[in-house]
Amino acid sequence: MDSWVIAMMLGASLILGGVALIAFLWGIKSGQFDDKEKFLNAALYDDETELNDAAEQERKKKTLQEKNYRPE
Amino acid sequence: MIEDDGHYFCCNGCQGVFHLLNESGLERFYEKTAHTKLSPPTLQHDDSAHFDSPAFYERYVITNDEGFQEVSLIIEGIHCAACVWLNEKALHQMDGVIEAHINYTNNKARIIWADHTVKLSVIIEKIRAIGYNAFPYDPSAQELSANRKRKDYYLRMAVATFASMNIMWVAVAQYAGYFTGITQDVKTILNVAEWVLATPVLFYSGWVFFKGAYYGIKNRVVNMDILVATGALLTYMYSIYITLNEEGEAYFDSVAMIITFVLFGKFLEVLSKKNAADTLDIMSKHIPSEVSVIEDAQVVSVNVNEVKAGSVILLKAGEKIALDGVVLEGEGSIDESSLTGESEPIYKRSGDTLVSGTTSIDAVLQYRCSKDFAHSTLSSLVALLENSMRKKPRIEQMANRLSEHFSTTILLLSLLTFLVWWFWPHDFETSFIVGISVIIIACPCALALATPVATLVGLGLGARRGILFKEAAQLETMAQATVLVLDKTGTITKGTPEVVHVTVLKPFDEALLFSLVSSSNHPIAEGIARYLSLTAVQSLDDVEQRHAQGICARSGGKKVLGGNARLMQAHGIEVSVESQHSLFYFAVDGVLYAVFELRDVPKDDSAHAIAAIRRQGIDVVMLTGDHEGSARHIAREVGIDKVHFLLTPEAKAAYIQQRQESGDRVIMAGDGVNDILALANADIGIAMGSGSDIAIDVSDVVLLNDTLESLSEAIMISKSTFSLIKQNLGISLLYNAITIPLAMAGYIIPLIAAISMSLSSLLVVGNSMRVRWSIIK
Repeated sequence: MDSWVIAMMLGASLILGGVALIAFLWGIKSGQFDDKEKFLNAALYDDETELNDAAEQERKKKTLQEKNYRPE
Repeated sequence: MIEDDGHYFCCNGCQGVFHLLNESGLERFYEKTAHTKLSPPTLQHDDSAHFDSPAFYERYVITNDEGFQEVSLIIEGIHCAACVWLNEKALHQMDGVIEAHINYTNNKARIIWADHTVKLSVIIEKIRAIGYNAFPYDPSAQELSANRKRKDYYLRMAVATFASMNIMWVAVAQYAGYFTGITQDVKTILNVAEWVLATPVLFYSGWVFFKGAYYGIKNRVVNMDILVATGALLTYMYSIYITLNEEGEAYFDSVAMIITFVLFGKFLEVLSKKNAADTLDIMSKHIPSEVSVIEDAQVVSVNVNEVKAGSVILLKAGEKIALDGVVLEGEGSIDESSLTGESEPIYKRSGDTLVSGTTSIDAVLQYRCSKDFAHSTLSSLVALLENSMRKKPRIEQMANRLSEHFSTTILLLSLLTFLVWWFWPHDFETSFIVGISVIIIACPCALALATPVATLVGLGLGARRGILFKEAAQLETMAQATVLVLDKTGTITKGTPEVVHVTVLKPFDEALLFSLVSSSNHPIAEGIARYLSLTAVQSLDDVEQRHAQGICARSGGKKVLGGNARLMQAHGIEVSVESQHSLFYFAVDGVLYAVFELRDVPKDDSAHAIAAIRRQGIDVVMLTGDHEGSARHIAREVGIDKVHFLLTPEAKAAYIQQRQESGDRVIMAGDGVNDILALANADIGIAMGSGSDIAIDVSDVVLLNDTLESLSEAIMISKSTFSLIKQNLGISLLYNAITIPLAMAGYIIPLIAAISMSLSSLLVVGNSMRVRWSIIK
């Protein structure tokens, strides 16, 4: 009986830890830690305008991409 | 101060930038600058058309899979996070720019754009319009792969550290159970948890060892990776067997710990590897991309790559010479210090040759280009440089040589132990465990950590004293050096002429002389100004700079002259001309007042440091492009008896190669472009921090405070680091010599195995710390 408690606790904490690890790995892979100065100044780049800007860039990329594939 | 609608600007440039930002809705830039003081925007260039040329595209621009163009730029003028923000935003607002990513730490930018919508020249003009400058660089394959490797190691380290730390908690429960009793089902649960944690460590983080082992076997070399890989894998499989059998002790914790520790050592090595330099791009930055060619009596700008030999080129004052050639018309002083190291400018007139890479100080002349850009002195120097960087000799690290024997011995001992136990009537299982325990106990952690930890201590000590080693392995190489080759100008000497003797014929007004010499930027005049070190400047009339003679001016009706013997003779003043140094005469109204003797003097600590280096058993040689007289003079002053003079950059490199062939390990210290070949060829190249960017790039060690004293310290640090490495290796071998017999005899219990693992590593780290403290004292 008690051993199942241990098993459950171990399993739960390993899964939680694993999720955090995967998030960290994703962060490294997507280059979020590449520039340590920028990373430290992240608070300056974290408001609505930044989000809008990112969305705008996405949109621009899409339209330009369509233009790229248009037959000449 | 300019006032504009309640805002104040220091200059029109800043005002222009402010309005430009307002128009683009980027005025929030000023909120983000916080307390950073901005400097006014720099001069505008007119070379942007060059960025759209096919030649440029071929070299720097990549077309990616999605059909967009990509370029890597270095942005100049970034000094705060707001600058990064501003550049990114300004570029994002442009039509056709898809991505602009600027790295704040190294100021490198990657820009992706659609070429049919916007041209690169427009993008670069935008960057310049907001007050920054951009120049392209070629992200070499080497640099990219080094970065990728580093990131890969980060990932593996993250997984290994996470798993090992968690395994440790589980292991605490295991060991507690081992001593106080534990039911088998709880033990199995703990074992399974460890199994889950150890698996990614072994197969993901430990993959580098399997790969290393594979290459080792392929090349028939027994390396450390084979030992680590077999040890970890065997232990892992054995532990799975124990877990499933529900009997005995599992060693998943040892598996994770071995991999993590050794990976940590490898990671330190990867971190301290030198980044491939962007040498050539920095070099090409200093070369004008366009020159003014005279064609049919008209001046046209032509890209340097398109200029053919035989073209007539117009050279303006202050311009860098891009191509080799012969002067046709005009005259003036040329600064050749970048190639010869010679600080005094050389006066050139019709018929003299010009060398690419040198700079015109005040010369305005026309010259006929004798070679095209690819064959000019500077380009061929770059080609030679690339070649020698590739061929640079590398001394194999001591730990690597040692680990080969170590690994072979351990694997053989383990096999032997297994066989002896098996034939000495024991069952297969017991013999197998004892055999494996030899491998586990001979944990190569300490061996793998011995070098990285020691070099880390050395690197830290150097950094404190302004000595930057670019790669950890260089400490070991440097410790084994037998010859130190020194450049004269700028390395042993100060590199600028100083007043060494003054003959005052009649008392004179020092302020007048100071005003006169302040009007010129000739090194001699600057040397005199430094000597006088006044601040007040009188106003002079009719200041005239005479090429290769001196300065003439008027002050309150008096004619003031300052210059060399030729100037004096031209004005009818008789002077004696005999001296081995440069002479500067000062005369007012035809009467000579004072004579200054100037020469390049050694740095204050040169003689002392050279003596200290010689005491360490290193042969000191001086190489210079200068003539014999001044070379011997300086050498005598600082106590060097081996001098080679009148050497070209190639000859310096050849001398180093010749010494290497006769079995010496050579350190070369220099500062100028004329030394880069030699720096790249030497086992260790040391650059002065004030030296040219290229010299810093090709060298392995940089001395930030420019003194030979720190060069001698660098050698001392490398020697003590090397002895520390030897000590550390000794400790780990001694440790193994004690524990391996115990393991072979079968006395190793799980707890001892686990403790021995950390203890040997702790000993190595502790010893390194001890040395660190003793050196600091």
